[in-house]
Amino acid sequence: MAAHEILAATNAVVTLDVALPGIVWPWFVTMNMWAKSIGTGVIFMLFILLRMHPESANKLRLPTAITAFVFINIFLLFTLADLHQPFRMWHIFFYPHLTSAIAIGSFMASAFLGLLTLLVFLAWKKQDEAFDKVFLWVTILAIPVTLYTAALMAQCTARELWQMPTESAQMILAATVSGSAAMILLGGSKLTYEAKQTLGVVLGLSALMAFIIYMSEYVFGPMKAEEVAFTMEYIKGDGPYTVMFWLGQWMTYIIPMVLVVLSRSSKSEALLKLAALLALVGLFMVKHVWLIIPQLLPMS
Amino acid sequence: MQLGFLVDLHLCMGCKGCEIACKVENEVPLSTWRLRVKYVDVGTFPETKRTFTPLRCNHCENAPCERICPVSALHYLDNGIVNIDKERCIGCAGCVMACPYGAIYIDPQTQTADKCTYCAHRIASSMMPACVVACPVQANIFGDLDDASSNISKYIQTNQGNVQVRKPEKGTNPHHYYVGGGNVSLNPLASHRVDGYSLFNKITTLPVGGHH
Repeated sequence: MAAHEILAATNAVVTLDVALPGIVWPWFVTMNMWAKSIGTGVIFMLFILLRMHPESANKLRLPTAITAFVFINIFLLFTLADLHQPFRMWHIFFYPHLTSAIAIGSFMASAFLGLLTLLVFLAWKKQDEAFDKVFLWVTILAIPVTLYTAALMAQCTARELWQMPTESAQMILAATVSGSAAMILLGGSKLTYEAKQTLGVVLGLSALMAFIIYMSEYVFGPMKAEEVAFTMEYIKGDGPYTVMFWLGQWMTYIIPMVLVVLSRSSKSEALLKLAALLALVGLFMVKHVWLIIPQLLPMS
Repeated sequence: MQLGFLVDLHLCMGCKGCEIACKVENEVPLSTWRLRVKYVDVGTFPETKRTFTPLRCNHCENAPCERICPVSALHYLDNGIVNIDKERCIGCAGCVMACPYGAIYIDPQTQTADKCTYCAHRIASSMMPACVVACPVQANIFGDLDDASSNISKYIQTNQGNVQVRKPEKGTNPHHYYVGGGNVSLNPLASHRVDGYSLFNKITTLPVGGHH
């Protein structure tokens, strides 16, 4: 592993240090972020569709609310499972520390789940007017719910790679990528061709912006900080996560962008569905690599 | 009162007495360390030298672990110690991820976060930390940074220009200082880490539970 501060003249070698603690936040946390992106993303997409294509979106209130409810429950389940003392989860609500993004995020996610439950009930009862009133607040709350993980990562002072401006942009874009992809697959015959194309545009543009940010960090990040340079070595050259990183970038961003363009020119819904499927699967890899590589950095 | 630590690396001879004393005093489980001594070999044979660097919690004034802890399990004491309440900890490992010094670990027995507390329980009984008592060359200097007449304050005054902290760029304001440290001993990225190139290659590790 290259590190630019190792001087040949010193030939310094660590001959005794305890092993790194290993991966502290494993794939459970990846699943947490992935499921949360979908759970909040479909809410954003329904919000857009209700305004741009109300005739299609009217039939999607219940399926969207159920999808969001299921994925937010998956997110919370994996959050709980990742704790070493899951039965003490209640401490967060009784001894909260308000400087912690984990504590604030837990409150918001709990409120979000409560509102989603209400949405499912209202959609099931076909009370569209009441649904839309609650839905506005759910959409607004979905923004900080999807962003709080970026704040949590930013609070990890040890992990230089995770900076709040880029991570918050990536969290929102992950929600719009996965939300539009999930909605394309979920919509089926309920969505008109125009509504699907709107979702395709969201998917393609979100993928483009997210890809630009990752590439910017890949190229320019190492120029700013030694720790970022060291971290990036894990996804460059023969790095252990190089393949997974590029597979994720191609599956989530590059191929879906091309497929969205092709689907517009050929008016093919099958290509759009393929783009959506690839983006959903690839996003897990993208998130996982970005979660793991800063944890490999030697701290001592 | 702001308690702090200073290690004079000129004096440290890597005996690991402090490490053992800490293990015994705090019943630190197998495969985990509150305090450990890092060895870095420098130079090319026969012109080689070994450096020893005791590493422990830095008890930062602006501690990232305290800030990220969702339940205040990590908290400041009035004397500046960053203490941990293991009964309160939920094991989210946020502190492990936040600490730039790799000083926090998940205790495999209690499944909670743990770290050096400067032996807060001994301090409360007016005793020195176990590692200070054990050091045969008095390389560990412990005391009140707010008291200009304390040993640690005098040491810092005497060695002005040669007092360092780890990763000052992080803005954590550590209350843990080194005298005689250098890039090789204090910067983890300034040394090679070669697999199998360690004095102890078979370090036993205990699972910390679940899928971790």
